[in-house]
Amino acid sequence: MAMEQVIPGWRWLSPAREQDWDALYAEQMPRVYNFLRFRVGNDTVAEDLTSIVFEKAWRARSRYRRDLAAFGTWLFAIARNVATDHFRQRREHAPLAAAAGVASGATPEELAERRSDGERLARLLAPLPARERELVALKYGAGLTNRAIARLTGLGESNVGTILHRVVVQLRAEWGERS
Amino acid sequence: MDDRFLEAQRRAPRGEFANALRERLTALERDAEVHPARRGRRWLAAGLAAAALAVAFTFPAVRAAAQQMLDVFRVRDFAAVQVDAARIQQLENRHLDPGSVLGGKVETVHEGGPPQRFANVDAAAAAAGFTPARPTLLPAALAPESVFVTGAATMRMTVDEAKLRSLLESLDVRDLELPPGLDQAPIEVRRPTVVVQTFAGPRHRRVALVQCASPEVSLPRGLDLARLGEIGMRVLGVAPAEAHRIATSIDWRTTLVVPVMSSATRFQQLDVNGARGLLLETTQTQVPGGPDRGPGRVLLWTHDGRVYAVMGDLESLDIVQIAQSVH
Repeated sequence: MAMEQVIPGWRWLSPAREQDWDALYAEQMPRVYNFLRFRVGNDTVAEDLTSIVFEKAWRARSRYRRDLAAFGTWLFAIARNVATDHFRQRREHAPLAAAAGVASGATPEELAERRSDGERLARLLAPLPARERELVALKYGAGLTNRAIARLTGLGESNVGTILHRVVVQLRAEWGERS
Repeated sequence: MDDRFLEAQRRAPRGEFANALRERLTALERDAEVHPARRGRRWLAAGLAAAALAVAFTFPAVRAAAQQMLDVFRVRDFAAVQVDAARIQQLENRHLDPGSVLGGKVETVHEGGPPQRFANVDAAAAAAGFTPARPTLLPAALAPESVFVTGAATMRMTVDEAKLRSLLESLDVRDLELPPGLDQAPIEVRRPTVVVQTFAGPRHRRVALVQCASPEVSLPRGLDLARLGEIGMRVLGVAPAEAHRIATSIDWRTTLVVPVMSSATRFQQLDVNGARGLLLETTQTQVPGGPDRGPGRVLLWTHDGRVYAVMGDLESLDIVQIAQSVH
């Protein structure tokens, strides 16, 4: 919680909380990008979605000009929605493309493409249910703490830890098999 | 749990992509700056409007104004008023800012620019235009961390009485008459240069000392400030009887009313070197530049025409001791 939530108008009177937007961009953009990479499993799509997130956020950033923590939280709230919209549109428009990179009978070109890190990550994460995949993306893509993830998702912190532990154990086994 | 294989999957975004996106965002900023309406909104969104309205109308201490027909108010004292968090959320959901609350035109006369960082207080003094006071007592093994200076800023608005009346009706505030002479009244808010010193200690403890000359608000002479203050409090959800009681009991020429949301668990007035200070105990306090913090305190007071705030995640006694030592 920021002072603005305690004393309305504080941000205006307290310019010390003015953000260095370049620094904020440098810090947060890679985290949002990696969150989306983990979510969608495609570097190009992740770039597109990252652009959408920041353009949305930037239009209203003045609300957060003195509140970096709140802006960071807000960015990930937007990123989650943008990812959800992406999957919803994909279901509506291209249902057969849903299982990114997991189709069998791939061509040699596709097999070569799969050797890329992004494809390997996509194949690993694709079978996960949406909630688990999002938690993994927030934890390992965005680098958020379990507490921050709990705040964002509404899950309990211990619940986040339990789910992530179970999923990581499962993923590690699959990762080893695929190596 | 060995999760390094997942952490190793993070990748730096392509530089070309990062630069192109940053350029697009910069273009968005420029776009906002060349559209006055958007610029006003951007400026004002930095402060919650209805609250700023109340703040603006409650800046204290009339002085002989240089400008004809204007009264100028400066902060000398503080009084906390608990406001309705649900109403604040309601106003935020409606994207209300001071301009839209007042209903009229909003203009940024002068932007303060981004804060500049200095190595120490002496280095910051030239940019600040005054010698910042500093604490001589730092408990909890705190040590100076950084100093920021943000330039003065000025905002000008005019009141649209019809829109303000409409807002009050939409909030079901129907029992208050607007003061005469309000329509198209010019209001100018000037925020002076602000200096912030931050201090860091063990266990990630951080404290900030904020200081500036009193913000000033110029209003047309003769406006009924008590009624404006009462209206401001009602907009913020203060109960009618309580808003009236406060409006008629405080000295609007010397007191800055600080709207405090319920997240401030406690507030009390106390003495800071002979001046009356306002101590807010919050569920969480964020020091400028820092992350979300745990429970904390904010102490506001004025001295020799300057407004001070000490905030941090220390005990009240420590916060008060720091404040008492500021010279």
